[in-house]
Amino acid sequence: MIPAKSILPFVLPALAAMTIPAAGGQALSPVTIVDSLGREIVVPGRVERIISLEPEVTRIIVALGEGKRLVGIDFFLRHHDRLFPLVFPSSERLPVVSNQGQDLNYEEAIRLRPDILFSSPSEFRMTESIERKMKRPVVALASMGRFRDLLTEIETLGRILGREERAAELVSFFGSRMGSVRGIGPVRAADAGPSVYLSFWGSLLRTPVSYEPVGAAGGNNLASRLLPSYLGTAGATVSLEQILVWDPEVILVQGNYPPAERQVTVEGILGDPRLASVRAVRDGRVHYTFGFWYWWDPALVLVETAYLARLFHPGSFPNFDLTREGDAIFKEFYGVEGLFSALCRVLECHEWNPE
Amino acid sequence: MSGTRNKRATAAFVLAAVLPIVLLLLSLNIGAYRIPPKAVFTTIVGAVFPGGASGGPSPYADILFRIRLPRLLLALFAGAALAVSGASLQAIFKNPLVFEFSLGISYGAAFGAALSLVFLGRKVPAQAAAFLFAIIAVLAVLFIAGKAASQVVTILLSGVIVSALFQALLSLVEFFANPYALQSLIFWLMGSLAQAEWKDLGLTLPVIGVGVTVLILLRWRMNVLSLGDDEARALGVNINREKIAVIVLAALTTAAATAVTGVISWVGLIVPHLVRMAVGADNRKVIPLSAAYGACLLIVADDIARSVASFEIPIGILTSVVGIPFFIVLLKKSGKIWL
Repeated sequence: MIPAKSILPFVLPALAAMTIPAAGGQALSPVTIVDSLGREIVVPGRVERIISLEPEVTRIIVALGEGKRLVGIDFFLRHHDRLFPLVFPSSERLPVVSNQGQDLNYEEAIRLRPDILFSSPSEFRMTESIERKMKRPVVALASMGRFRDLLTEIETLGRILGREERAAELVSFFGSRMGSVRGIGPVRAADAGPSVYLSFWGSLLRTPVSYEPVGAAGGNNLASRLLPSYLGTAGATVSLEQILVWDPEVILVQGNYPPAERQVTVEGILGDPRLASVRAVRDGRVHYTFGFWYWWDPALVLVETAYLARLFHPGSFPNFDLTREGDAIFKEFYGVEGLFSALCRVLECHEWNPE
Repeated sequence: MSGTRNKRATAAFVLAAVLPIVLLLLSLNIGAYRIPPKAVFTTIVGAVFPGGASGGPSPYADILFRIRLPRLLLALFAGAALAVSGASLQAIFKNPLVFEFSLGISYGAAFGAALSLVFLGRKVPAQAAAFLFAIIAVLAVLFIAGKAASQVVTILLSGVIVSALFQALLSLVEFFANPYALQSLIFWLMGSLAQAEWKDLGLTLPVIGVGVTVLILLRWRMNVLSLGDDEARALGVNINREKIAVIVLAALTTAAATAVTGVISWVGLIVPHLVRMAVGADNRKVIPLSAAYGACLLIVADDIARSVASFEIPIGILTSVVGIPFFIVLLKKSGKIWL
């Protein structure tokens, strides 16, 4: 018989490991997930050190409450994102592991000993190359501008990080808020929404052929039939005449940048004599919206959809307050007060609201 | 043989006198906004003779005079500028592969636009910065070449150096650009006539007009210069002065066009070659015909760019994608280069 005293030093830690959840409630057994490239990937049960090259993924990791597991972030989030430093101030201390072109700095990445890396699905060769060189699981994840995929992304990250409950909470919150936008007044009628032209990517003539917040808010993106739907959010260049032919009721300008950096402005469009006959210009319905910013911030796109619903159907949202609504949504995602107000001070979006 | 070529030259001149205007008028009928040809006619007549025939409905006048006409005039002038500059430079350097890229003009303009779009916001328009740096690029080429500026090899090497420098500086600006400004820059670099406005044309067209006219007037001297330096000197021509005058004029016209249109490549190479294939290497014919057919080429290219699909294809991409294979076929068929 083996004395109990002699096996206790071995048994107790084992029992503890079985009963005490890992940091963040993470499961210890490997998890198999399918990434945005359709690849099945076995992720280790304990993911403590994360490198993310995909800003959208990084934002969701923080929203899941696991920002502390990040050991490296991408160039864009450090140098060009106005929102992320507000959402996750301690990211200032994290090393940047990619360059301007979002290429991975391998030596820095190896030094950081990640358990997993996240990359962009639009760079599938890079994903495979990183996997070969780093010998670590590399998960390519992004919404690519689709709500359905954004929610799947949140759930997938929840599974990888052992935060399924928090992920379900966020998905549910997202769905209920989106439902409340969709369910009000004339927004219910698919054909009741205004026709919308979007000026994105620093050009009056560049427009996304798919921008789901517009449809969700009850608007009709006029460029949606320009390119096949499988091209998703691809941008198309149109002519000024095409804008006149469409005669949009609302023109939206991407405003996710400080005013001094905007190449296309609302004032410029309203004062452009070539567009004087367009309904949106005649009626003064030319506004900024947020738009893509390396895909989305999940909280910001929700705020944006509510903001657009207010723009498209002012009568249905008489008491809408962009800042109050934005702060509440950001609080739910990131647990910090006044985040949206802070972003608005940078973008001057308190001046966007027409009323 | 000479008789056939003379007949061909006469036909080419007759066509050159008519075709740009015909294409411009026809192109006024092309666009996403459907305007019946009769309405185009009455709107134009109504604008020319306000008291006469009734103009079309107001949107027609706006579209024709605020959108289509400035765009077509820009295509006409820019096409002429690029083709005449290419033809002139090829003539004085006796080298069929010289065009605006060879003198650093395009990369100078691109760098200027990049500086404006990335660092200066809307304080300095991209057009102004592009023009300024295109001129700086040419001055740099002339400065590096120094007293040997009239020598083909020296000036081409100087052009290569300046192009490489501005290309590197452009990459540097791109590297530091935020993604938003980078998108604007990439769009500009593709070349487009879509944003043509009267306020831009007010500055651009006079510069191009003067440059192209003076280059056409110098066509006789280009013939002398293309004979070779000794022969030109024997005929009393000041080679350095004449060559530098042609370079500066070609640079001015190209810079004025590039500043507004973005980078549109190959026009300066393809059009003069096509003209030489038709009428021979006599610059008295090549220079004016290049102006006319360059204008035609860009008008047609722009018609295709804006009408082949419901979205626009950047004209710089179109001229390259269509122009390069076309040029290869011509070279293969002919088996020689005309100069």
